[in-house]
Amino acid sequence: MDKLSREEVLHVAHLARINLEEDEIEKFRVQLKKLMDDIDKIKDVKDYDEEMLISPVDHNAPLREDSEGKMLEYKTVMKNVPHSTGNFVEVPVMLNE
Amino acid sequence: MSKYLDKSIEELHKLLKSKKIKPIDLVEEAFDRIEKNKDLNCFITLNKEEALKKAKELENLEVDNLFFGIPIAIKDNICTEGLRTTCASKILENFVPIYNATVIDKINEKHMIIVGKTNMDEFAMGSCSKTSYFKAPHNPWNFDKITGGSSGGSAACVSGRLVPLALGSDTGGSIRQPSSHCGIVGMKPTYGRVSRYGLVAFASSMDQIGPMTRNVLENAELLNILCGKDPKDLTSTDKKEEDFTRFIGENIKGMKIAVPNYFVSDIVSSEVRDKFNEIVKLLKDKGCSVDYIDIDYIENAVTLYQILAMGEASGNLARFDGVKYGYSYENPKDLEELYTKTRQIGFGDEVKRRIMVGSYILSGENANVYYDKAMGVRDDIKKSFEKAFKKYDFIIGPTTTTEAYDINEEFNDPSKSFLDDILVIPVNMAGLPGLSLPMGFTNNHLPVGLHIIGNFFEEAKMYKLASFIEKELKLNLDPRGGKDE
Repeated sequence: MDKLSREEVLHVAHLARINLEEDEIEKFRVQLKKLMDDIDKIKDVKDYDEEMLISPVDHNAPLREDSEGKMLEYKTVMKNVPHSTGNFVEVPVMLNE
Repeated sequence: MSKYLDKSIEELHKLLKSKKIKPIDLVEEAFDRIEKNKDLNCFITLNKEEALKKAKELENLEVDNLFFGIPIAIKDNICTEGLRTTCASKILENFVPIYNATVIDKINEKHMIIVGKTNMDEFAMGSCSKTSYFKAPHNPWNFDKITGGSSGGSAACVSGRLVPLALGSDTGGSIRQPSSHCGIVGMKPTYGRVSRYGLVAFASSMDQIGPMTRNVLENAELLNILCGKDPKDLTSTDKKEEDFTRFIGENIKGMKIAVPNYFVSDIVSSEVRDKFNEIVKLLKDKGCSVDYIDIDYIENAVTLYQILAMGEASGNLARFDGVKYGYSYENPKDLEELYTKTRQIGFGDEVKRRIMVGSYILSGENANVYYDKAMGVRDDIKKSFEKAFKKYDFIIGPTTTTEAYDINEEFNDPSKSFLDDILVIPVNMAGLPGLSLPMGFTNNHLPVGLHIIGNFFEEAKMYKLASFIEKELKLNLDPRGGKDE
């Protein structure tokens, strides 16, 4: 198989929350299959130790002191918000029923 | 036009200190060079007005450190308060950070002057800087060649002598690989050495900021001011402050060096291999021992990187949803459409591919099949390197398998951007420090790099070896051939 099915492409696009047009679905059917073949090579790795490396640093990560730090101003934070009303971030309806 | 920016940082410091020049002389010269070389497309955003203003302000302050008044360029995935930070993506085309990355605070404390934000692969995903929404930068050694990536703009602006210093970031070779293609020195420090706070996250367990410079000494000097524990990044380490230049100039006789057989296998072009073999001969002549060894699982590193980096990226890039900042699709019918169309229009194909595959990797049972197993093998690679470093001081190889390729060459293979980094990715898997040092030129007069891998937190020792080789080779690394720009 040199391509994924259309449904498989739409499934991964949905997981990643990316809309795809028809021509993109066709393009990614081939490209994603190639990358999935690449990652499948992990299945061929034998005789490995099951201990996992989660982070390359092995020092402790102690929690910070629980004290008040510098606060950001509402006005500053809202500067980059695409749609807002006062101090609120605007979003479209969540359930379109 | 003056040519102050061809001088070393130490010479510039003396001139500034003795008031023979002012910071504004350097800033004006940098912008003059950038303007004359704008076709190289090294920068996404210039900081001209602010830089000139700051240079004037510095005239009233005492020159109190080596980097006072020195211009620097910053990769465009490092947050700069009030200065646009795009990650070379449409989705952040108009994003202006409201805080500084910790490295930017450190640069500002030293009164360095940021001239602009450099071009790169979109979200640092790529190996040629061609995935930039703002079009690719060009290689100063040959306009028709790629710079490498993802820190391509940073590499090109230092190589082209537009600025003396730049910052890059390296997740799977993104400092070292473009440094090799552009003929500069690039260091990816040990993971945890430099704070990642304010670096837009790609793959958090690998991302690391590092210096990109014209020579080894200036690289070590710049790393001196970048590193240190940061309470805002719990993966940063609290190593005692050290001077990374302290071993520069020392003899390397008796040092034990290993070359993984994989790094000189037929994945490397014969031309690059020949250059590398000349370095091996030099090291042996100077009294080092060089052994060829095997590092277990090293040939699996690209696969691991694909799984882990794409997996981590899919989570990290979930924040770009059109709600809080960045591009936002207009008039969506509901929240789902806002997400999906914002990301469809905002991201380029390389990013889309990686986050789609990354989401797949982390979904359901796949997390065990791919992600958990990759973390297991990653631990084994780290242990293999640790075992080698019990016996050897350094591990070396070429940085890249070939010289820089044609900028117009199109590859239909989505694996290409990973395979370009095949020799540098293993370092990110282990969290080790890696440095690329120019080691010569190909027949097309394109630079190629030597990759020096050190043990954890042994950057100072790496600079010793690198500076020794640099001094022996005496390469002319100015692509202008010594002519005025």
